[in-house]
Amino acid sequence: MKHLIHIAAILAMAAMLPLSGCGKDDPAPSDPNGNTPVPAKYLVVFSQANNAEPYRAAQNALMKKLWADHPDVELEIHDGQQDNSKQISQIETAIRKKPDLLIVAPNERGPLTKIMGRAMEAGIPTICLERDIAEPNYTTYIRADNRKIGRQVGEFIVAHLKEKHGEAKGKIVHIQGLLGVEGETNRHEGAHEIIDEHPGIEVVQSAVAGWIQSNARDRMTEILNAQPEIDVVYGHNDPMAVGAYLAAKAKGRESEMIFIGVDGLGGPAGGIKKVQDGVLAVTFTYPLCVDKAVEVGNKILREPDFTPEKSYTMESEIVTPDNAAEMYKKQTVE
Amino acid sequence: MIQLHDNKAWATIKRFQSVLGLLILFVAAILLSPQDRQDGYNIFLSTGNLTDILRQVSEIGIVALAMTFVILTAGIDLSVGSLLALGATVVAMALTQWQPTDNAALHIALAIGAAIGACTLAGLVNGAVIARMRVQPFIVTLAAMIGIRGLAKWMTDNTNIDIGFGEDVGAVFANLVAQKEVVIGTFLVLTVVSAVLLSKTIFGRYVRAIGDNEKASDYAGLPRRWITVAVYGLCGLMTGIAGVIHCAQNNQGSANDGVAFELDVIAAVVIGGTSLAGGKGTIFGTFVGTLIIGVLTNILGLIGMDENEKMMVKAVIIIIAVRMQMTRKVT
Repeated sequence: MKHLIHIAAILAMAAMLPLSGCGKDDPAPSDPNGNTPVPAKYLVVFSQANNAEPYRAAQNALMKKLWADHPDVELEIHDGQQDNSKQISQIETAIRKKPDLLIVAPNERGPLTKIMGRAMEAGIPTICLERDIAEPNYTTYIRADNRKIGRQVGEFIVAHLKEKHGEAKGKIVHIQGLLGVEGETNRHEGAHEIIDEHPGIEVVQSAVAGWIQSNARDRMTEILNAQPEIDVVYGHNDPMAVGAYLAAKAKGRESEMIFIGVDGLGGPAGGIKKVQDGVLAVTFTYPLCVDKAVEVGNKILREPDFTPEKSYTMESEIVTPDNAAEMYKKQTVE
Repeated sequence: MIQLHDNKAWATIKRFQSVLGLLILFVAAILLSPQDRQDGYNIFLSTGNLTDILRQVSEIGIVALAMTFVILTAGIDLSVGSLLALGATVVAMALTQWQPTDNAALHIALAIGAAIGACTLAGLVNGAVIARMRVQPFIVTLAAMIGIRGLAKWMTDNTNIDIGFGEDVGAVFANLVAQKEVVIGTFLVLTVVSAVLLSKTIFGRYVRAIGDNEKASDYAGLPRRWITVAVYGLCGLMTGIAGVIHCAQNNQGSANDGVAFELDVIAAVVIGGTSLAGGKGTIFGTFVGTLIIGVLTNILGLIGMDENEKMMVKAVIIIIAVRMQMTRKVT
């Protein structure tokens, strides 16, 4: 029998663990007399595709900060860990709790479509954040526009080359993210919509580094060996642009060319700091979309007559050495 | 050591240790579960939530059943995550890029057959290499994990094969197979079939005997090589079935899916009391182990625990659950 008691003790401890784990969360609110719990709190569930990406970590941080200004809102963030099945299961479980608002940053468009449809069927207002899904199973879709960012990059490149050479000509290098992904395709094609109008601008080489800084450094090293002249390196995200810079610096060639990135995250590891440090000539923010989601979300919660637009497109902002300090403050969540 | 007169009682308790763990976890979940904010019922206990759990663990559970056979032979199959991706991509490609017939039902059946066939074949090759070339299962299936992932990515050229939402055959397939009843039903039926296969057939007895003592089973004249090939083939077959379900539930076949899936599967098997040393374990235990993982994930999700805290809690629970299975040996 001693064994049984032993087992029971272990399991009792096991059962207590989740309790201690959630001890941080504040208890259900009660009225001033402390008797009956008041269900006045709004429950907002944010289903994040993958906490591990810096862009998404920045989204989470801003989400927490902005909702913290509304003490009657309880925010839950679930991490899909870049796994569609996991994210589907997490949303499925969240639906059972009938949240007042569901915000989903879908990991991939196809797999998440049906479960978001089920949330809508259950009467839960659902905000689709940043990435599209296959069918419009959402109350509103808050998006950024990668193609437009690509065009902004293209315009910057043309202006820079005109200034450098007196006319729109020069040699550029692309460092690309994962091929076939929407962000990659549009950041690339958007830039070419502008660049291709100027036959003097030549893409001397392109390399795929899959969004990863260390890969970009390796690919850029090869490119530098092959190309004696480069004017502009366009990294399709900031880490890749930084990786390309490091490769050029190792060969003492970093001042021959400029490095352009996209994302413009705040914080010491983000792209804005890299502009301040003189590593990147410029970066274009890829909007977190979170501020709009919280603004629209609050209206959905509190204004019964409010009907949001079917979609909102957030504008990208350019970060240059002139405005970098100001942008750093704005984009960094303490 | 255990007293002789305790043996019978202990055998009974031991048999149901994993159930005891599940039961305690279940009670804890009921106590911890939030109430519905309008109607006040216990959300964890609602039928919808309980069937959600079964749906969520079905893919892991189905593969864990087959993995139980593999581990009982003192083997391991690390390639099931890649096999899951292979099954999902083959069925998606067969539905969208292959037009064998105009009959939708036949097309779907052929696509499912192709996926399960491909995975079974891969499993049989695993088994043959292990049995014939006498390379350790860990190494063979580690190589297979890499190679099969490469095959799936090569076949799809790194793209996701979307099976569509409209009226086409892919959408019909998804709507049919992704139904909760179908997913859960498949898992439960395969559980019963596996239990019968392991405990009521000569095959099952041979599997156990090989894992218990390889040399002795050789001296006894057991067809060890054939059993090995069959066990890995079975693992491929069941993973193929899980892959088909995975494709339907995700509405796409992706060669990148199922990464680290093998670890979840092995966790379910060992939590269910199967020894990695082979010879000891039951299908019922694996079923319970799978449910333990499912209930744990579910209740931590319901209470809205932070993801990082969740991972730490899970680690502790896994160790406790496995430790419980060993009580008799250690104390």
